[in-house]
Amino acid sequence: MHWLNWLIVVAYLVYVVGDGVRRAKGTKEIEGYFLANRNIPWWAVGLSVMATQLSAITMIGTTGQGATDGMRFVQFYFGLPIAMVILGVTLVPFLHGAKVFTAYEYLERRFDARTRSLTAFLFLLSRGMSCGTIVAAPAVVFSAIFGWDMAWSVAIMGVPTVLYTMIGGVQAVTWVDVKQMVLIVFGIVALVIVLLVQLPVNPDDALRIAGAAGRTRVFDFSFSPNETYTFWSGVIGGTFLAMSYFGTDQSQAQRYFTARSVDEARSSLLMSAYWKIPLQALVLLIGVLVFVYYLFQAPPLLFNPAHEQRVRAADAALYESLSGRYRQALAGRTQAAQALADAAAGGGAGESAAREAFRAREAEVNAVRAEALALAGRVTGENPRDVNYIIPHFVLTALPLGFAGIFIAAVMAAAMSSIAAELNSLSTATVVDFYRRWFKPEASDGHYLFVSRAATAFWGVFACVVATFAATLGSLIEVVNRFGSFFYGSILGVFLLAMVPGARAAGAFFGLIAGMSAVAAVNFGAPAVSFLWHNVIGAVTVVVVGVALSSLKRAP
Amino acid sequence: MPDDRGHFRRTLLKVMTVQLATLLLLWLLQARYTG
Repeated sequence: MHWLNWLIVVAYLVYVVGDGVRRAKGTKEIEGYFLANRNIPWWAVGLSVMATQLSAITMIGTTGQGATDGMRFVQFYFGLPIAMVILGVTLVPFLHGAKVFTAYEYLERRFDARTRSLTAFLFLLSRGMSCGTIVAAPAVVFSAIFGWDMAWSVAIMGVPTVLYTMIGGVQAVTWVDVKQMVLIVFGIVALVIVLLVQLPVNPDDALRIAGAAGRTRVFDFSFSPNETYTFWSGVIGGTFLAMSYFGTDQSQAQRYFTARSVDEARSSLLMSAYWKIPLQALVLLIGVLVFVYYLFQAPPLLFNPAHEQRVRAADAALYESLSGRYRQALAGRTQAAQALADAAAGGGAGESAAREAFRAREAEVNAVRAEALALAGRVTGENPRDVNYIIPHFVLTALPLGFAGIFIAAVMAAAMSSIAAELNSLSTATVVDFYRRWFKPEASDGHYLFVSRAATAFWGVFACVVATFAATLGSLIEVVNRFGSFFYGSILGVFLLAMVPGARAAGAFFGLIAGMSAVAAVNFGAPAVSFLWHNVIGAVTVVVVGVALSSLKRAP
Repeated sequence: MPDDRGHFRRTLLKVMTVQLATLLLLWLLQARYTG
């Protein structure tokens, strides 16, 4: 990468650390460190919520998914605005009005200490591990494309984030998020503009070609629970998932706890609801346009450069043979794409035949790619899927000077904003739900502040270690993530139960265990059911079992 | 507070308008280009 691009990346890193650290001034107690004295304006909270949710995977993985699978992933977000509205009139007034530090603290007030401790423990377990994967995902890509050691890739994002989060607390996290969100949106919009300028066909033809390859299909109204992305799984499952995430996950809830009032907290969530679907559609559209770009510019056979090198080294002859077939298939596809664009411009005569011819050439290209990916899997022993490498390859080879630096900085910003929120919330739950609750209920603010910073540093180091050894820990991380999906909807169920008059502590605790068991049973008994439905099953089971147990206890 | 509630309602209305407009645009994208 050109030195000017590196300069942009370094300038970004220096700026965010400086900006974050200066927010530490005046923070003398944990109310300021964890909740900014509940004095952050709603628009800043809203941008912080958005930045936290938008991770590096959104920037490189979702765009890559747009290139390979098209726009239909956007359905995943259809429930989000509905969830925000429901949360705005239900959980947010409860939680913000209760003046708690953590969402789980509220559960002790409403139910009992064991329900609070169990939910907080489940949060620490799953988020601690997932924080590592949030660092690992972009670090693996940077490691492959720049040839860096994995530890160095993790450190370049992890160390600055831990520094400003540990020193500046939630003030630093929120205000750095605001700037990072601006950079991310700028990076996305710049990429769209550059793509539109660089495409050899006009946008109308580009979308027509993308449509012929199925990339512009958005809506799938089938009601199969085994299909992950459908309109209904997005609206129903997505609503429950977003309610779980934004309503009960401390990394999100803590963002709106910092708002000045209940109404400002609600407005901050609605701000995120505003832009989520349009922004995700734009992110996927980038992928679709990159797909069209690579119809006219030859893409590599394998987008992951590390895998390509290893495959070449292992079996150069076979790789060259595949490359030759690939070049031939690509030439045929380029001709077919141009013919389709010409037919469309000619007023539709022959467009149908041109579309079919294009699809046949596209299938040939995909077949050779599938062979190459299988070969990469056999040679490396790793997952050969290279969706996450498509956009980085485009950015580094096709963008004008300076834009690559902006995009890499935007990917780092997306990763760092998510990591910072996770670290801050992990530290809050550790100190408030365990250390202060069970070990040292009475101590000075100075002591709690010191412990909070130490807890942030601990979780930061833990996340970086997990990320560095992500490949080795692969199966363990997968187990923890799968285990996390068992209780996500169930925790939402406990919070919904909290709003039911007459619901009792035993109902909440055993309802939570019943909810997690129900999801585990569905997961192992019917593994084809999409994970989006797990949250619905978990939440509904907790509420039904919780209400039933509560009424049983009341009966005598 | 009444001012805050009014602000929330206005924001809610704008949110829903943006969502409907986005869904309409996505529908048009699919209808026009997906063969």
